[in-house]
Amino acid sequence: MSYLTVKDASKQFGGSVRALDGVSFAVERNEFFTLLGPSGCGKTTLLRSIAGFADLTAGSISLAGAALDAVPSHKRDIGMVFQDYAVFPHLTVAENVAFGLKARKVPATETATRVAEALNTVRLGAMAARLPAALSGGQQQRIGLARAMVIRPKLLLMDEPLSNLDAKLRIDLRDEIRDIQKSIGIAAIYVTHDQEEALAISDRICVMNAGRIEQIGTPQEIYADPRTIFVASFVGTMNILPQEAASHLGLESSRVHQWAIRPEHIQLDQGNLAPDSVRLAGRVEKYTYLGREAHVMAQTPAGKIVVQLADPAPSLRMEPGSAISLAFRRQDILSFDSKGVRLEGRGN
Amino acid sequence: MRVSFWTLVSIFAWLILIALLVVPLGSVLLSSVQDQAGSFTLANYARFIETPRFRTAFLNTLIIGFGGLAGSLLLGSAMAFCMARIEIRGSRIVSLLAILALVSPPFIGAYSWIVLFGSGGLVRQTLMSWGIFIPPIFGLWGILIVFSFKFYPYVYLLASGALANINRSLEEAAESLGLTPFQRVMKISFPLVLPALSAGGLLALIHSIADFGTPRLIGRGFNVLATEAYTLYSAEVGSNLSMATTISIVLILLSMFFVFAQRYMSRRNVYHGNLINKPVKKKLTGFPNIAAHVVVYGIALIGAMPAFIAAIYSVRRTSGPVFHPGFGLDSYRRILYNLADVVQNSLTFSFATVALIVTIGTLIGCLVARKMSVNNSLLDATLMVPYVMPGIVVGIAFVAAFNSPPLALTGTAAVIILSIFIRRLPYSVRSSASALRQVSPSMEEAAISLGYSPSRAFMKVTVPLILPGIIAGGMLSFVTAINELSSSLVLYVGSTATMPVRIYIAINDGDYGTAAALSTVLLVLSSTAIYIAFRLMGRDERALL
Repeated sequence: MSYLTVKDASKQFGGSVRALDGVSFAVERNEFFTLLGPSGCGKTTLLRSIAGFADLTAGSISLAGAALDAVPSHKRDIGMVFQDYAVFPHLTVAENVAFGLKARKVPATETATRVAEALNTVRLGAMAARLPAALSGGQQQRIGLARAMVIRPKLLLMDEPLSNLDAKLRIDLRDEIRDIQKSIGIAAIYVTHDQEEALAISDRICVMNAGRIEQIGTPQEIYADPRTIFVASFVGTMNILPQEAASHLGLESSRVHQWAIRPEHIQLDQGNLAPDSVRLAGRVEKYTYLGREAHVMAQTPAGKIVVQLADPAPSLRMEPGSAISLAFRRQDILSFDSKGVRLEGRGN
Repeated sequence: MRVSFWTLVSIFAWLILIALLVVPLGSVLLSSVQDQAGSFTLANYARFIETPRFRTAFLNTLIIGFGGLAGSLLLGSAMAFCMARIEIRGSRIVSLLAILALVSPPFIGAYSWIVLFGSGGLVRQTLMSWGIFIPPIFGLWGILIVFSFKFYPYVYLLASGALANINRSLEEAAESLGLTPFQRVMKISFPLVLPALSAGGLLALIHSIADFGTPRLIGRGFNVLATEAYTLYSAEVGSNLSMATTISIVLILLSMFFVFAQRYMSRRNVYHGNLINKPVKKKLTGFPNIAAHVVVYGIALIGAMPAFIAAIYSVRRTSGPVFHPGFGLDSYRRILYNLADVVQNSLTFSFATVALIVTIGTLIGCLVARKMSVNNSLLDATLMVPYVMPGIVVGIAFVAAFNSPPLALTGTAAVIILSIFIRRLPYSVRSSASALRQVSPSMEEAAISLGYSPSRAFMKVTVPLILPGIIAGGMLSFVTAINELSSSLVLYVGSTATMPVRIYIAINDGDYGTAAALSTVLLVLSSTAIYIAFRLMGRDERALL
């Protein structure tokens, strides 16, 4: 049996609103598991159910072989990191971290060493005596992390812990979180709506939409092998083309409802093409230079298509209206049926 | 366990509201629609409409209500604009003066204006000796001047807050779109502060309508509903409770009407600005600078003048009610020897009231803030009623309800304490609810996830975080409690007289020295309480409203 199992979890808020609709998954010891989805997809409700702050309407959760359903949240031994940090403003940094140890009646000397250790891990050793109000958002979230880890919980839950931080700090701290999780070897469930963050940090990602699981898989599987049109378009950017584009793509379309291809799989036609390539003529609509890459939006007979150019030459000019030729390989085209489910092969 | 605890609190809250609000209000209503035999009649209301005296009082109430509103709006918005947008030297002192005006008992204002501008008033006499005649301040204009300078801080505090919170980019955007400065003020700034102006104006209006001391002392024949109700109630011969209760109902309806009218007016006007671009204060030079300072300091000093007058007159030499040249502590000596029990009453009643308000108000506040339900929303809405009840009405209602067994409380200290308690309870519930709403629920959840049971998490995390706010709220309640006049005046008997009641009697008797000394004691107590409150929660003048 897996370390954490969630079985048929459903949650209904008054009336017909289903926040969770029959969600099941399992998380292994030491695994970094991410719940990814747009706001309102049920990921936070799910996390709060595991923490015990919300009751499920139906379904069960078990952790380390024991059912959690009847265990009140303060006895679950689950550490939690909050979006708004939830650092206690009336306690010093060290007192914040020691807070959970006090509840466990850990002796004072042991508390002191464990707190110091935890603070060093999150690089806040020098701040122990400060009040949180004097610290930055990133530092406050580090307190939150140290506070949750120091009790050596069975499971670590993180509810969008980085969403209130600025971009650069977000990347630094997410790497730190990942390193800390691996070094102490704890199972972690991480909630985010940021797909890049999910790809960077997770062992496995669970993509959720409207209270249901769309797909569970490694970052590579989620990105390169999306099982539904929702996953394909939510994670990364995706060109979605209607069924009618089939003739331009040279593909059959009996069951296919939509075609999809990643911008980085499309190139500007420069002659030497692989044998199964599709060639499309189009006109430049917009050229966006981003330094490391550039995006060309082109109007083609198959629809609007965005092409990603890696390492674009600074001298490259793409005037709107100028004619270009796009090329991509048929094997990179994904096809989806009318329910948004991925069709194997070419869908014919 | 926790669920049942909050259910108990909810039941307890409703019991309090029924006993101290529904029953008294019901008694007032009942008494107003009953004849001597106890059968239903609308004769009292017919009499109210027919009698010219009452019609005049009704009209006068509207006049002083809107007069007080207009005066407060004028003074308050002028001061708010100057303070929020122009660099004023010593602006801290100015806002302290505004607070002083706000917390000094209303009748001190009337008294001080009488001392300066009454028939034998200091300023008036001096001017007369120079050959300049001004009429004594008594009557409508006197009331309006006192109200304007007493209630302007409501408008000032709310409007200056709103003005300081307008994102400057909005005004710059208007300017870049080609509006002249005047158009910009009228089309952008004014609409944005309108909700604050109307909320401040409403407070001034409701307090003007409810005020009893000022029209009583300075009106001299200019009667309003509050004074008529008191006269009818307290007449030695032919006390007419049913007519007094009829007027009370009219007063409540009037206040309620204005509350709802203001809500209706500003129903759409809720602006949540972001404060990326804070307004800056402009530094003026030359004449405009002097003019702005004159306006601000003029209003602030005149508004706080009553407090200074009281302090100065309290140390003038007196023998009996007569002032003599020179200074001395005769008035304080008289308080110490003759009126120690009054001071003691005031302190005991106020502390008892505050203790009740803090504990019960906090419990109900937690209930309203945390346990969302129809029941609790209804509770919150019902709590608005005492907010609009004029003190004199609460007094009369308590007499009507608690004059006879099973609850014969009239004449006891308890009835005075309870009357102040119910009037102040809404503020306390609101302030503790808002303190609680500022504590993120995730704070408690963090403690729970760390191993604390919900009740221990509440005690360990939430209580320490809201405690300063609660104590500060208690201090502000203390200020209201110790300055309360109108309901105590209806409810007191010889042994339960409080300082405000005694001041009122002293002024009526012409014993100005005692009144001044007692007022100064009140002011010192109030200022201390406010100082403690501001130390605890940071300086937030708007908490006083």
